[in-house]
Amino acid sequence: MAKRITIDPITRIEGHLRVDVEVENNAVSNAWASCTMWRGIEKILRGRDPRDAWLFTQRFCGVCTTVHAMASVRSVEDALKLEVPLNAQYVRNLILIAHALHDHIVHFYQLSALDWVDVLQIPKADPAAASKLAESLSPWTRNSRNELKAAQDKVKAVAASGQLGIFANGYWGHPAMKLSPEVNLLAFAHYLQALEYQRKALQVVGILGAKTPHIQTLTVGGVTNAIDLDSPSALGMDRLEMIRGLLAEVAQFVQQVYFVDVCAVAAMYPEWFKIGGGVHNYLAVPDLPLDTKGTAYDLPGGYIMNGNLTGTHPFKTAADKEFRESVTEDVTHSYYQGGKPLHPWNGETEPEFTGWNGDQKYSWVKSPRFQGHPMQVGPLAQVLVGYAQGHPLTKKYAELALTKVSAIAGIHATPDLLHSTLGRHAARAIRAAMLADLADKHWQLLVNNIAKGDFSVHNQPVFASHEVEGVGTHEAPRGTLSHWVVIKDEKIKNYQAVVPSTWNASPRDNTGASGPYEASLLHSPIADPEKPLEVLRTIHSFDPCMACACHTFDPSGKQIAKVKVL
Amino acid sequence: MKRVLIAGIGNILLGDDGVGPYVLRLLEVSYSFDEGVVLEDLGTPALDFIDHIAGLDALIVIDSVDNGEPAGTITLYRNDDLKRNAPAVRMDTHSPAITESLLAAEVFFGVSPREILLVGVSAGSYDAGCTLTDVVKDAVPLARQAVLAELDRLGVSYRGKTQADSGIWWSETQPQLG
Repeated sequence: MAKRITIDPITRIEGHLRVDVEVENNAVSNAWASCTMWRGIEKILRGRDPRDAWLFTQRFCGVCTTVHAMASVRSVEDALKLEVPLNAQYVRNLILIAHALHDHIVHFYQLSALDWVDVLQIPKADPAAASKLAESLSPWTRNSRNELKAAQDKVKAVAASGQLGIFANGYWGHPAMKLSPEVNLLAFAHYLQALEYQRKALQVVGILGAKTPHIQTLTVGGVTNAIDLDSPSALGMDRLEMIRGLLAEVAQFVQQVYFVDVCAVAAMYPEWFKIGGGVHNYLAVPDLPLDTKGTAYDLPGGYIMNGNLTGTHPFKTAADKEFRESVTEDVTHSYYQGGKPLHPWNGETEPEFTGWNGDQKYSWVKSPRFQGHPMQVGPLAQVLVGYAQGHPLTKKYAELALTKVSAIAGIHATPDLLHSTLGRHAARAIRAAMLADLADKHWQLLVNNIAKGDFSVHNQPVFASHEVEGVGTHEAPRGTLSHWVVIKDEKIKNYQAVVPSTWNASPRDNTGASGPYEASLLHSPIADPEKPLEVLRTIHSFDPCMACACHTFDPSGKQIAKVKVL
Repeated sequence: MKRVLIAGIGNILLGDDGVGPYVLRLLEVSYSFDEGVVLEDLGTPALDFIDHIAGLDALIVIDSVDNGEPAGTITLYRNDDLKRNAPAVRMDTHSPAITESLLAAEVFFGVSPREILLVGVSAGSYDAGCTLTDVVKDAVPLARQAVLAELDRLGVSYRGKTQADSGIWWSETQPQLG
């Protein structure tokens, strides 16, 4: 008889992401992912000036404010066929890279590493042995015995004061935890260091964006950073050098610590390369444009169906015709009115709440589909699309990761292993390592272009008299983000955001096909239904971002998530 | 010079959740403050909140709260109230993390602000929209007063502007200033 497990975050505003799984013989036999809160934020945009939309859309999410600002200005630029000056492209690219590096670092260390790392083991570690191990894996200079001992002392102090709850994960001593005390210690020392380096990445966003969260320097048609190499109040050499220094420090952390840690942890859990695959259709859009029109990019895009890495379909541009024409949203199992799947430009957001029913409607998330199929988005999609296209930078770091995992685990790791829970972590680290290289490249591109005497940062938007439609995309840290806008009489007539987590968290569609979260949980082992750590590992590997829309402080400190076993 | 951060927290797109940024913006446009006082609309921060609060002498947060009180009630919370209950297992990796940030700043880095006040405004509605409910809007002057009283207590001075700067850009209705 199947056992039902519901994992439902409890918050004062009716929760966010909820997962239900049925467990039979210690494995998941059925799964449902749902979002328990209606947002409908897009409606706020109707009737507003399209040039202001980005200021509102960046409030969609608390963590990914920047990405929604970027997709929004791009959607309006696409609708108006407005080119973006080179300097503005590079400044935007540097902001996007810095934001993504911050996001990937925080995701691994602060938000998911403790699914694999058992804090309770740390006091048992030998710091000298941990240091020796670390130095065999990486040239990073902050792996000394003293540094690791200091981290260990912090954990001991936290444990002694009874404040272990700070880690917000509670499955210590779970049978699925397998790292040695030394590896646990190393990961925790880097958890603390990660907080320092993610801040340096955010400082770059702050310098170029004037504020974080919520950058202020975008505008439809470019950026508002005045460039003057000699002025202290404009973007000059002082600030550019500061940015370069910060990015170099972050790059070193990413390539010598984050990338190495992911490979090492993955190598010690090789069975998780076979768990958590799910939907093998992948979608990514090109990003980091290299010209004013957006015809060449540093990150490749395209799609892969059924995991076929030899039959990839590239997208030429970030608003590729095939992409524009292939996206629909289905509401068969979502709490909305409506019948057949609709293209986002015709999208509707009329609620029809019926309560959770796994056979009928059960989520506030719509089901985005590409040519009618569910698609997995995120760093894994981007890395696989790039790898399949032979993109040199993607291949460089993907092969380095596979080589490292193979060496540590004593296995022969191939790209096929990436269709998995660990594959998503590995791909995120691969992407971060790529972005670390690209940060320096785009800094150099910006400086070289300024040195040519080009100080232009903005093209003036001109509105058409007739109705126009646009799509703005961004390959965000969590995957393909697209904003779809319809403009009439200089006002927004319709606006829809198809965000990465709706691709991944989508419920079943009208054909019964599950979304990526649901599919990835099927057949997952569950050692202890009361502590479904395995479910968290797989869901966290997607870097879910559902809670972003609302923040109310709950002074009672109620449990954030409830696990209910029926 | 005292380092003080006054932070408005919440989502301006979701009704009363936007009360924190609303009060913050109101303070920003109608007062000038001692050097060392920073006002920030932080939206809905996660662990990046640590970076904003590290090394402060005092932190004042304005946020909507759900504490069972009628909408529009102002409740003040101190340091210990906020850290009393640690967070538990979470599904979503990006839920807001005020408590976790405060704990991390204190436990891991020893940089937690010495004085902390949360000015909590009990919310009425989180429906999508850039407008506060009337009862919460009526509570805004009280919330503002609570912030100013805390500044008095801290010995930090502020002066009313004779002419207020531009208003609350996102709001469908503009407040009475002064």
